[in-house]
Amino acid sequence: MKRITQNPLALAGLIIIGLISLMAIFASWIAPFDPDAIDVKAILLAPSWEHIMGTDGLGRDVWSRMLFGARISLLVGIVAVGISTLIGIVLGAIAGYYRGWVDTLIMRFVDIMLSIPTFFLILAVIAFLTPSIWNIMIVIGLTSWMGVTRLVRAEFLSLRGREFVLASQTLGAKDYRLIFKHLLPNSLTPIIVSSVLGVASAVLVESGLSFLGLGVQAPQASWGNILTDGKEYIEFAWWLSLFPGLAILITVLGYNLLGEGLRDALDPRTSNRK
Amino acid sequence: MLKYLLKRLFWMVPLLVGISLISFLIMHLAPGDITSTEASFNPKTSEESRQKLRELYNLDKPVIVQYGLWLKRMSTLDFGHSFASHQSPVFWEETDAEGNVKKGMIQEALPITLLINVLSLALIISIAIPLGIISALTQNRLPDRSITIFVFIGFAIPGFWLALMLMYWTGVAHNWLPISGLHSLGADKLSMIGQWMDTLKHLALPILISGLTGLAGISLFVRNGMLEVLHQDYINTARAKGLPENTVIYRHALRNALLPLITIFGLSIPGLIGGSVIAESIFAIPGMGKLFYDAVLMRDFPVIMGILTIGSALTLIGNLVADLAYAWADPRVRRGVMS
Repeated sequence: MKRITQNPLALAGLIIIGLISLMAIFASWIAPFDPDAIDVKAILLAPSWEHIMGTDGLGRDVWSRMLFGARISLLVGIVAVGISTLIGIVLGAIAGYYRGWVDTLIMRFVDIMLSIPTFFLILAVIAFLTPSIWNIMIVIGLTSWMGVTRLVRAEFLSLRGREFVLASQTLGAKDYRLIFKHLLPNSLTPIIVSSVLGVASAVLVESGLSFLGLGVQAPQASWGNILTDGKEYIEFAWWLSLFPGLAILITVLGYNLLGEGLRDALDPRTSNRK
Repeated sequence: MLKYLLKRLFWMVPLLVGISLISFLIMHLAPGDITSTEASFNPKTSEESRQKLRELYNLDKPVIVQYGLWLKRMSTLDFGHSFASHQSPVFWEETDAEGNVKKGMIQEALPITLLINVLSLALIISIAIPLGIISALTQNRLPDRSITIFVFIGFAIPGFWLALMLMYWTGVAHNWLPISGLHSLGADKLSMIGQWMDTLKHLALPILISGLTGLAGISLFVRNGMLEVLHQDYINTARAKGLPENTVIYRHALRNALLPLITIFGLSIPGLIGGSVIAESIFAIPGMGKLFYDAVLMRDFPVIMGILTIGSALTLIGNLVADLAYAWADPRVRRGVMS
């Protein structure tokens, strides 16, 4: 933990993510207005003391919608990465531990999935399902596990030959003990780094899908669909497009900083060099 | 070498079959087909005529039979015809009985997307490599720090938002660049060069945006590669024998640091093709991304399958070319490939 807080990148990322998470969690208390309340007397107002980020085409308070949008974006990002990491660990562990034909089968499947242009794959699935945040999480999760699988497999393959694992095996340790006691705990660092970076790309994908109208649906606010509304009014209401984009940028930046910082702090090879 | 090439090409076939099977299953296990979208445009469509349509397109048969039929047609490179778009051929042009030529949908869309991607790659290479070198040579000093900040922002910036902002700024506010489509009104009256310039002007923003968002990763990669190479023994040797610093850096270090870039470019192809969806729909450019997006909304199965297959085949070919180029550039790898 100390190594993390001493790394300036990781610390900056942690602070950014912490602040945004707090805003998302306490959205209902912080938000000055109901995010879905339509007010015909306050349509497209520029930012002011009352509406610090202005109002949208239906007179809804943008700041309040941004706060609730943060909930959606973070939730989708974290759950999607949870799904993909879980699949990646299971498949990667099986492939790296048992090797042989199971390994070949799983890795060929990974090759196939990696050869299909990612966003096309997501789009092909999502367009056939009713758009809801649950479907988006599942689809992003199911289309982004390949990297983790390769990572876990590589870790397992290299760890399996190490003395402490061989010793444990010689002492008669069962498969599950070897996997959960020795191999998995020692592969955790790269898994954590890749999932933190994964959240960043999941947040980007979700906002892109919502922007195309295939993600989170109105009236539920998400940064992507606030931006879609903003596109309509871009000529006379810049605040509708500026703030959601900045929010996505800062969030993704936070996760990337934390991920890279963690990699530096936890990986003895790179931290020595600095 | 030839044996390796043949082996790799041979492996592509089962991979492509696997890719198409997975794409086919995903498409057909989800609810809805072309008849449900056509019906929504024309509420008078009866259940009976929908059934007829399904029979016409073989949609009433079990999925695996449909896949077999598709694969059989594909074995003769017949991508079929679009359900939605007036029976246009999906892949390549066809001449009908009356001698009219119908252009293929992918035939028209692919060159546009490729042009955008090739030009933005050129932009990325010409900016990212110098940035990465500067960053590595000034490690942890001001230039490196500022480039790193720029890189992190480049990683995090949502491409579609940047597109929207630049579109507003250059197109709406200042009217410098056209903001949608491929050709200006009346562009067909211009000379050949004029038409090219017109198209390039329309593509300037999309290219700029995919270049700017792609820059970050490559420049970070060059930086780290350079740093790693600069710590190698042969660099010390080169310095020790009294070579000028410029020769050491640009002849010895840079060449080795840039080698892995070949692989990175090979790997980035699916992302580039996939990333074209949002940019092309924002700027209304009729490329692969826009074609795919429209096909997905219409549940136009032959077009979706065609694009997924071509896109995946391009990815596989890209990876193969990258590996070959790497082997060509690096004798150490070449020996591994040959044996």
